[in-house]
Amino acid sequence: MTDLNIIIGGPQGGGIESAGQIAVKSLVLKGYNILGSREYHSNIMGAHSYYHLRAKEDKPGSLTLPVDALLALDAETVLTHYREVRPGGIVVYDPAVKATRVDSIQPMAPPLKERVKKDLESRGLPTTAEGALKAMESEGVKLVGLPLKAMLRKVSEEAKAPIASVSKTVNTLGLSAMLYMLGVEPGYIEKAISLQFAGKEKVIRMNVAAARIAVEYVREVYGEPEVLPDGPHKGKVRMVASGNDLVAMGKIVAGVGFLSYYPITPSSDEALYLERHKYVKLDDGMAEKVGYDRLSVVAVQMEDELASINAAIGAALAGARSSTTTSGPGYSLMNEGISLAVEAEVPIVVTLWMRAGPSTGMPTRTGQQDLLHSIFSGHGDAPKIVIASGDHVEAFYDAIKAFNWAEIFQSPVIHLLDKYLASAMASLDREELDLSKVVIDRGKLVDNPGEGYLRYKITEDGISPRARIGDAVMYMTGLEHTEDGKATEDPVAREQMMFKRERKMRKVLEVLPEEDKAVLYGDPDADVTLVSFGSTKGVILDAMKMLEGKGVKANFLQIRLLSPFPEDLVADILSSAKKVITVELNLMGQLAFLLRAHTGVKPDSQVIKVNGRPIYDYEVVEGVLKALDGAGRVVVSGGS
Amino acid sequence: MARSWLEYKAPAWVQWCPGCGDFGILNAIYRAVAELDIPPERLVVVGGIGCSGRTTFYVKGSNAHALHGRAIPMATGIKLARPELTVIVAGGDGDLLGIGGGHFVALGRRNVDITVILFDNAVYGLTKGQAAPTLPAWIKTKALTSPNIHDNVNPVLLAFAAGYTFVARGYAYHTSQLKELIKTAVRHKGASFIDVLQPCPTYNNVMTNKWYEERIYYVGEDYDPIIRTREDFKEKLPAIMEKLLEFGDRIPLGILYWDQTKDSFEERLEKIMPGYMQAPPGTRRISVDGRPIVDPFEVFKDRVIVT
Repeated sequence: MTDLNIIIGGPQGGGIESAGQIAVKSLVLKGYNILGSREYHSNIMGAHSYYHLRAKEDKPGSLTLPVDALLALDAETVLTHYREVRPGGIVVYDPAVKATRVDSIQPMAPPLKERVKKDLESRGLPTTAEGALKAMESEGVKLVGLPLKAMLRKVSEEAKAPIASVSKTVNTLGLSAMLYMLGVEPGYIEKAISLQFAGKEKVIRMNVAAARIAVEYVREVYGEPEVLPDGPHKGKVRMVASGNDLVAMGKIVAGVGFLSYYPITPSSDEALYLERHKYVKLDDGMAEKVGYDRLSVVAVQMEDELASINAAIGAALAGARSSTTTSGPGYSLMNEGISLAVEAEVPIVVTLWMRAGPSTGMPTRTGQQDLLHSIFSGHGDAPKIVIASGDHVEAFYDAIKAFNWAEIFQSPVIHLLDKYLASAMASLDREELDLSKVVIDRGKLVDNPGEGYLRYKITEDGISPRARIGDAVMYMTGLEHTEDGKATEDPVAREQMMFKRERKMRKVLEVLPEEDKAVLYGDPDADVTLVSFGSTKGVILDAMKMLEGKGVKANFLQIRLLSPFPEDLVADILSSAKKVITVELNLMGQLAFLLRAHTGVKPDSQVIKVNGRPIYDYEVVEGVLKALDGAGRVVVSGGS
Repeated sequence: MARSWLEYKAPAWVQWCPGCGDFGILNAIYRAVAELDIPPERLVVVGGIGCSGRTTFYVKGSNAHALHGRAIPMATGIKLARPELTVIVAGGDGDLLGIGGGHFVALGRRNVDITVILFDNAVYGLTKGQAAPTLPAWIKTKALTSPNIHDNVNPVLLAFAAGYTFVARGYAYHTSQLKELIKTAVRHKGASFIDVLQPCPTYNNVMTNKWYEERIYYVGEDYDPIIRTREDFKEKLPAIMEKLLEFGDRIPLGILYWDQTKDSFEERLEKIMPGYMQAPPGTRRISVDGRPIVDPFEVFKDRVIVT
């Protein structure tokens, strides 16, 4: 069984993302499933960034440490990650960085410098990159030095281009050397390079030249490595996409007509990907069926998040499937708009990519700190739908379901995801994005409302026929209103509308299938039940297998629908749980809070992580073992 | 044949104070849309929060009442989803220039085909008379505890600087002149702005009807605000700037600036996505028999890898 773990590190702007993606593509071409994510600073150039990747035959649910191989494109990478490579693994580095002292690396975080110096000093090693390399060597890590400067000169000769223009291939040099040492044949690396830089022939030529030079060098110095066997997924058509990409894809498949956004990490890449595909040519058959041949999505960068949410509301009123995308700070600004969408019953989808707060916090790092924020957003008793996706596949389907629910229940739907899932890439099969599972349901949307139309007609399920703005004389408002949408402060009319809106949320719980509310994975009779939501899903599923190896039988309750909370279902499942442990990436134990509020179940323990890095499989294992030892709260802290 | 203005009068009690300038603006809107023959269900009045925002409920239309300051973005979403509709924003000076100032500027940059009518009485009426962004400095209206020490913003100059392609000023009690301005503004393809001066008889005891009547005048036929070419712009700019800046002892009314050279936002969208206007997001079909019309493996080829 292959389980290959890699870190590729270097300065931001130094091609770390593309090196990571070439690695991802090489291993997908090789027939593996991959999971890869980038960790980076809020910075354009110079700060440390790394790509963390895992390749397996089956689906990797979690990234993990230590890794099998570290590619260090600078001294800071060596000094940041030297404790994250397993014995027997390799580190690929440039010997020119050896003499670099910890203190001379300007972008490196001062607290990290102190930790590293203390560690190296305690081992009697110099506080330089060389000290860190020696530490690795003493633990059985193989050092693979690459004279990058000399190699770049060679690339320059081969590609007949000046050094300055080939210097960008330095990531490809390091990556190709590493992948080759890990047993990936050069043909895959070269094909991945062609895919990565598709359409840029000169760039491909330069990078392929670099790959060949790197492979030749390591073959000469270290000999032919053992070839990595091919994975089981060769000969397939696969999708390799990030969470951001998949949400954008889901929106387009769902028929989104309007997307407003204001730039904010980590939501911007979703908007960017959607913009890239906002204009789609339909084939002739489809064009005839729908009556137009070019599908256009109006995607507008607004002046702020206040404008984003209110423009999205406007477009939804006019009949478009309408959405905006943001992160915590932007969502704070959208709060008043959420409340309006509840009061005026507007079907909008807000994609909320959580990142590490409070305030601007750590903009490029992950967390699950906006669970309560999303549920309780909007002033004045504003119930809404909140759905959290556990992985890439769910992110795609949930983006579509969110539009259906928004229109069926005429309510804002908050689609809750996080930075980790936003930037994590995964390989998917065609069957995993199966359109036969996708339904487009626009609820009680009416094309010809006719005379005497009442926008807020009182109905048994609380849902009124919905006409588009432009099709009937009507009034839509954030003021309390009568059935015709006219403002009122009448106490009886007020109550009617409050309970009408409440009935819709009851209907949500009645209509949605269990799999969209809460899902129990594993043996119902397990010794311990892990409860979580969002992107921890794959990590916990992987950790369950590891726990089984340690004699702990765990199952996993994934809460999908966070609002309205499926309290009967969750209470029922938890009633037979022997021990309940929540796992979440926030300080307050926000999910634990919801469990207590809705079911009365107080978790026996909480495993939390708040350092802004994704949670890893071994951390869940460690957390559960400590919890079983009686710890009330376990804080796990892995990652660089 | 034009419709009767009565067709646009919604059955509702109008809650404004007696003598309020809002009545004049409301009447001008009724008459303008009637003469333009806009079917009520195709007319969208988007109101902000405040006395002026209630216009939403008094005009028969397919209307939306926005949050405080957010009428412009909401109107933008509506217009871009259904570009065939007539969209009018009705907001006060606190709403459009105070809490919503950023959106006011952004609409100019986009030149979306929306008509913004500013109910400009220099006070926050509904919250009992606080100073609004158009109240000149050192005026002390009766609700203020001391004179206003904020300078006033110049709405027409701001609209010009932001990129509105039609900028005019009217007076609330001059209903027929105002009606003509609204008609021209609605017909204009692009972001149009009318600053409508109006007394607030309840809270603005300084800028009264008498105060305005002593100052206002209509620009004459010799004043040409129309820009047909870029050369026009250079040539006419000094005279236009003079009118836009004039606010004090004399206040010009009428069309102050009218740029006919620029594409609206919808036309720009049509340029980058031909076919958008014909199948806009609000009304185009998104499914066939309840099924999606695009396949991810066909559309998102940049993420597909054949192994």
